[in-house]
Amino acid sequence: MKMSLNWVKKFTDVHLPVNELIEKIGAQLGAVDEVIDIGKKYEGIVAAKVVECVKHPNADKLSICLIDDGGVVKDVKRNEKGLVEVVCGAPNVKAGQMVAWLPPGVTVPSTFDKDPFVLEARELRGVVSNGMIASARELALGDDHEGILVLGDNLKPGESFTKAYELDDVAIDIENKMFTHRPDLFGMLGIAREIAGIQHKLFKSPDWYREDADLNNDGRKNVLKLSVSNEVPGLVPRFCAIAIKDVKIEDSPVWLRTYLARIGVRPINNIVDLTNYFMLETAQPLHAYDYDKIKTGVLGVREAREGEQVTVIGGKTIKLKKGTIVITDGQKPIGLGGVMGGADTEVDKQTKNIVLEVATFDMNTTRRTAMEHGLFTDAATRFTKNQSPRQNRAVLVKAVAATKKIAGGRVASEIVDDKHFKTTPVTVKTTAEFINARLGLDLPAREMKQLLENVEFKVELDRDTLRVTVPFWRMDIEIAEDIVEEIGRLYGYDHLPPALPQRSIAPAEVNEELAFKARVRAELSAAGANEVLTYSFVHESLLSKTGQDIKNAYHIRNALSPDLQYYRVSLTPSLLDKVHPNIKNGFDSFGVYEMNKAHIKGILDDEKLPKEFNRLSLVLARKKPAPGAPFYRAKRYIEYLLSHNLGIAHSYIPVDESDGLPKEWQIAAAAYEPKRTAVIVASDKTILGIVGEPTPSAKNNLKLPAYTSQFELDMDAMKLKARPHPMYLPLNKYPETTQDICLRFPADISYAQAESFLFKALENASKPHGYQYWLKPIDIFQKPEDKAHKQITWHIILTHPERTLTTEEVNKLFDIIASDAKKELKAERI
Amino acid sequence: MKYEDPQINAAAVALKKLFEKTDDKRSVLRAPELAALYDHLRTVPAGEQRAKFGKEVNQLKQELEKMVREAAQPKAEVSPIDVTAPFDINAPAPSLLPTTKGSKHPLMSELDNILNIFERMGFSAIESRQIDDDYHMFTSLNFPEDHPARDDYDTFMTDEGLIAPAHTSTMQNRVLKAGKKDLENGKPIAAVIPGRVFRNEDLDARHEHTFYQLEGVYVDKGINAGHLIATLKAFLEAYYGKSLRFKFQPYYFPFTEPSLEIILSCPFCEGKGCSVCSHVGWIEILGCGMIHPNVLKEAGIDPNVYTGFAWGGGIDRLVMMKYNIEDVRHFESGNLKFLRQFS
Repeated sequence: MKMSLNWVKKFTDVHLPVNELIEKIGAQLGAVDEVIDIGKKYEGIVAAKVVECVKHPNADKLSICLIDDGGVVKDVKRNEKGLVEVVCGAPNVKAGQMVAWLPPGVTVPSTFDKDPFVLEARELRGVVSNGMIASARELALGDDHEGILVLGDNLKPGESFTKAYELDDVAIDIENKMFTHRPDLFGMLGIAREIAGIQHKLFKSPDWYREDADLNNDGRKNVLKLSVSNEVPGLVPRFCAIAIKDVKIEDSPVWLRTYLARIGVRPINNIVDLTNYFMLETAQPLHAYDYDKIKTGVLGVREAREGEQVTVIGGKTIKLKKGTIVITDGQKPIGLGGVMGGADTEVDKQTKNIVLEVATFDMNTTRRTAMEHGLFTDAATRFTKNQSPRQNRAVLVKAVAATKKIAGGRVASEIVDDKHFKTTPVTVKTTAEFINARLGLDLPAREMKQLLENVEFKVELDRDTLRVTVPFWRMDIEIAEDIVEEIGRLYGYDHLPPALPQRSIAPAEVNEELAFKARVRAELSAAGANEVLTYSFVHESLLSKTGQDIKNAYHIRNALSPDLQYYRVSLTPSLLDKVHPNIKNGFDSFGVYEMNKAHIKGILDDEKLPKEFNRLSLVLARKKPAPGAPFYRAKRYIEYLLSHNLGIAHSYIPVDESDGLPKEWQIAAAAYEPKRTAVIVASDKTILGIVGEPTPSAKNNLKLPAYTSQFELDMDAMKLKARPHPMYLPLNKYPETTQDICLRFPADISYAQAESFLFKALENASKPHGYQYWLKPIDIFQKPEDKAHKQITWHIILTHPERTLTTEEVNKLFDIIASDAKKELKAERI
Repeated sequence: MKYEDPQINAAAVALKKLFEKTDDKRSVLRAPELAALYDHLRTVPAGEQRAKFGKEVNQLKQELEKMVREAAQPKAEVSPIDVTAPFDINAPAPSLLPTTKGSKHPLMSELDNILNIFERMGFSAIESRQIDDDYHMFTSLNFPEDHPARDDYDTFMTDEGLIAPAHTSTMQNRVLKAGKKDLENGKPIAAVIPGRVFRNEDLDARHEHTFYQLEGVYVDKGINAGHLIATLKAFLEAYYGKSLRFKFQPYYFPFTEPSLEIILSCPFCEGKGCSVCSHVGWIEILGCGMIHPNVLKEAGIDPNVYTGFAWGGGIDRLVMMKYNIEDVRHFESGNLKFLRQFS
């Protein structure tokens, strides 16, 4: 909302310097986006009289003017009579006119914002022109550049144009967001009231701004038939209209144009400008129709019907939807209620008779219509803030008077006032104690009363109790907390005494999930992996490239970007997608991981909302292959994380052998090559996640290097199983014995079978003697010529808590294991 | 495939030979032999002769393209492996990446920092959801049905009408409901809610559709706006490790009344003006206010007995300001050039 300081000053004195005022507005009204120095834009422009005007000897279209500026402009060449020579190309320039003269050194206002053009004394076809005589367009006062702007005779030569039209002004743009709930602050009057209030000054609205305003009985005749038929009183609580006869449509007086232009509204003609002027002043949108174009003398208000359309001002034809409020001529739509008038009944140069409308449209319906058609007009902006229907009559009466004065004409009908709203004012009862308790203040009730009365609330005081009557323009005050806001803001939030809340020193509860995430993050980063964040939404193509079925993914229906079509069903594809760009960037070997959420359509939680799967995924990639399947690299990280750090006992089941895999893991596994993927299962059969390699097609589609592998884990399951801290075993005083054992197994014995045999054998052989043992695989070997076997070598550490082990007993133990191996698995000790 | 035209056939043989030999299979499509055929095509007299020649050249090109495509397909046959083994047959055990290469995401590290301060102040953390319903996102927060205030939140919606939360306030109702028992036992509700939020906006260097927010809620008997101001001051001064000046700007949120925006003197230039604060010396950092009585009521808390405050702010911006990060899109880029600077 752009305000003009001079406009505000018509309603209240402002003595603060501009910078202090801006600070105050920011602190007590709303964020200031921009401050525009209007005075600077119009600086140095002078009213001057054209004394002589002759045709340029060397140019058909130019005139040479001698102008009288009363001698006020310095450093300009004058003739013997003190007149200044200016060349002018306008066809309408004549001797005797009062014009706006831009002397050399002055910036052309229309160029001020972009590429400032500073005038100088310049020769035009042999004649020196000292600056220029300006058109309305050059003065940024409208589109008219057919001729120069002729000023009123009330100006004197040499008088400052800027001062005469109160253009020594400042426009202050306050963020609209601040005023979402404040319909009154979309008008200068409302802003002025608030500026008085925050300075703790009493404000009084002008006399004309009252609910019961009426026209003077000025001998009008009801010569033009006008009626309103409102079929949607719930959506249009008030519709006031009046007909005015014999107006003269022309350009607005210069002062009116300057008032619109300074806050960025384009002047059009006197009638349209007046409707805009009063909207800017009161926040109440108005509309003027060409009475004769309506033809029926009827203004209807109803919901649009299927198949109807209307052409709005500017020429855009709109297909109307049901639910849109339209204005009709009793039959067909002629305007979009609350948003924009229709082109068919627009006021133009030929218009003689008009209808002025001051109506109130439902905020939500207006908002929908504006959004549907992308018509974010000034009127729509105001109606969507819930304008009060109780101000319409005051605005109409004021606008009628101004119309008569500026465009002539006479009132030709009664005020038609169709109204359907409660006229009883809102009252709120509260206490000073209630307000102080919420602001942390100790303000006496009478001070609160004063703050509210400054902005025209009525307040009855009964000791501590305030009975507040809300003025008719305030639509946002309903409950005591709204009064708290009012007092807090008018008093000034800067003055609230800060004090920390008091609470017991009981420790705050720790969030286990976040703590666990932090733990995993620390471990993976220490293992050289890089934490990434990727979008929760993915493009359909990423899902299909990684073999995911889109029917499992929640579809986003309104995403601006096609990259954000679906909620992801697992994290791995998003991470795979980050591999190729990094390889291209020169990273040869890396691991990227993310802890985030996945959502699967149809799987709900206790709240009957989509279950949020807390997942961890890691993708490891290497540009050049290393020996062995890449699977084992991802598995190495699983072991590091689950066994080494978190102490979670687990085993691996080939995914193609695992029955009854839950849906969410089947879905995640779609991006994994089944022959090289394992399900990770805790000792109680809880599924912890999956580890594997991407499918060949995912590799191909995402340009992944051959040596890529990945896992995805369930963070919640991991958290439940993770040991809280490392396990400690007392240190052994006696030396440990280490020895390798190499067994040759038939090739179809899996490593897990071999290892579990070895554990069992070690346990059986150790138990009677009380040995402690650890084992570590160090090699799996297969001779190229013997594919039927493989040799696995383990490093075995043996100790005894009470003595040193002898070579004999160790050898004996190994012999037992070897003979067991032969018996059970047909394995030879090598 | 045999070609009738001897010139094309000769080229086909030569190109297939090249295909066998070369490592860059695509190079056959750029080979001069193929280009020569197209050059020749232009010199063949128009009519049946040209049509026939053209057809054969195109057939050859398609055959070559197919060969290139098939070569690009990885060998479909993936050999099974023993997934229970710690490493592969005849291969060494893979090693972990060097610790020095590892890194934590700067947003996550900063969130930890921030949560750490709030935990010291007695706040518990609850993570926000990434998919929610209209009730939690709007209705429970005192957004009337169809209210224009909803326009400020350009929300992503699913076909089912579920919402990708545009603010962490989507958790407020849950936090308040869960804390009601505590209130009755004389304990305040003191919670912070970090989480990922979404706005349906176009991406540029300053706008992300996905970002992180932290929400805070404090409810007890006798809580007032002075407590709100002091709490946020205490946090911000702890976060920046220095004393700061503050300004307050009225704001509008449906879920707080009154609503404020807190502005602090730029901690990077002591308010003198620098690139971080766009040379104004002040930074708008978070929105806050006293919790609207309707929001408390909706959670079953009597607003005449208990009052509270809430606030919310973006994490991304804090991190961008701290490190002078020029483009918000780096955060979700997965670019190691960016990420490894935070190791």
